[in-house]
Amino acid sequence: MGKGKPFLEVLASAIHEDFRFPFLEIFAFLYALGTFVLASFTVSIYTQTATNEAVAYAVTTSLLSGSLIVFVLLIFKNVAYGLGSDLEKGIIQTYFSYPLRRRGILTAKLLSALGVSLLLFLGIQISALYILAPDIVLPQFSTIILTYAANLSYPLLISAIMLLMTLILRRGGIGLVVGIVLYVAMNIVSGIAFFVALATESPLMLQIISLISPSYALQYHYGGLSGVSELSSLTWNPTLSETLLYIGGSYVIVASLFVLGYIYFSRRLNL
Amino acid sequence: MKRWTNILGRSGTTLIAISLALFLVSIIPQIDLITYETSTTVSPEQVYTTGSQGLNPQQGIQLKVTVEGTLKVYLLDVGSKKPNPETGMFFADAAELQEFLDSSSNMIIWDDELDDDSFDRYYVPTRVMNATLVFRNPSSSEIAYVEFDVALKSSLAPGDKVRTIAYFAAPIGIIMAIPWLLNGWKQRKQK
Repeated sequence: MGKGKPFLEVLASAIHEDFRFPFLEIFAFLYALGTFVLASFTVSIYTQTATNEAVAYAVTTSLLSGSLIVFVLLIFKNVAYGLGSDLEKGIIQTYFSYPLRRRGILTAKLLSALGVSLLLFLGIQISALYILAPDIVLPQFSTIILTYAANLSYPLLISAIMLLMTLILRRGGIGLVVGIVLYVAMNIVSGIAFFVALATESPLMLQIISLISPSYALQYHYGGLSGVSELSSLTWNPTLSETLLYIGGSYVIVASLFVLGYIYFSRRLNL
Repeated sequence: MKRWTNILGRSGTTLIAISLALFLVSIIPQIDLITYETSTTVSPEQVYTTGSQGLNPQQGIQLKVTVEGTLKVYLLDVGSKKPNPETGMFFADAAELQEFLDSSSNMIIWDDELDDDSFDRYYVPTRVMNATLVFRNPSSSEIAYVEFDVALKSSLAPGDKVRTIAYFAAPIGIIMAIPWLLNGWKQRKQK
């Protein structure tokens, strides 16, 4: 028997556990509904001179503002609770008896927890956005993908931290709580960073935050700080290449944490 | 075989869930944001334009026009073009309008000639635009009279398009889900 079949067995089992009926259907319903309900072109109406890129960015951000939390809850549940309960119940030990390397087992689990969730989220939202505004989606597809990439970086970073915590503690509860706290904390931290940046008239704090959550760099790339020009002389308008660097940097951090998770799962996890 | 039934079945139920969401979106009624009606005369070879209005995929325009005489009616996307500060009009005369029409044919949404006639139309763009309504009197001697009602309508999605997709997707989803549902029902019966 090749390695493909056991991998598919583990993947199928993980998908079955992560998306029990009707989880998949509820999330699909919410993503589809959320796209139309949350999409807002209001920013674009009042900024008639806005470029098409800025319009695509504004619409995508308006969608993400509400629906990202639904996606985050799904991946947090899958990573922390799903993997945690598999470790607690001894299901992972059963997988170890398969003719499959440990990293293959973790890949199957992550493909189910993150891959399927991402596919569902992006597939439904971008298709629904295309139905709504094809003349924005098609010409500005790269901007839309870039906006999603920038906004998904931080949730993926938390997922990697939760994965590590779940593997080290061998239970998902604490990891789940830490994940939710970290997700909420970013809004507070970014608020503080914004005020520090205004007070010091230096974008350094915003740049540091952008390395972890590059959606801020993208926000300033499209919007700048024009709204606060009366409060402070702070200006930060990162170029597209700078923004891409922030996004790339954040994904390097995410990838490094996942690699750590893989190393721990393959070599250090004694079950 | 059972795995394929599961995959197909869950894909089907997901499709049904998406169809339900689309159907729900399509039945949410439109809201009238702004409505106004006005009438005016347009002198021979002259142009009359309304103020510009931001339209987007969730904000369309309904227009009812009644013309006495002959008029060309245009709905144009003027983009970032600013109106003349003195007249408040986007086009000072027919020549300037013609220049715009020749250079920006992709910005013409409607281009109709009405001769003692009327029309009632609804338009929702698939992008963000800055639209204006233009009446041009092509006659060299007769004055034309126009009455028009403009209504800006807001909706979550283009209802007909979304409903059509829902109507197609739901039966496909049901067909895909039937074997999986039957399988589940049989298993439950056996237990």
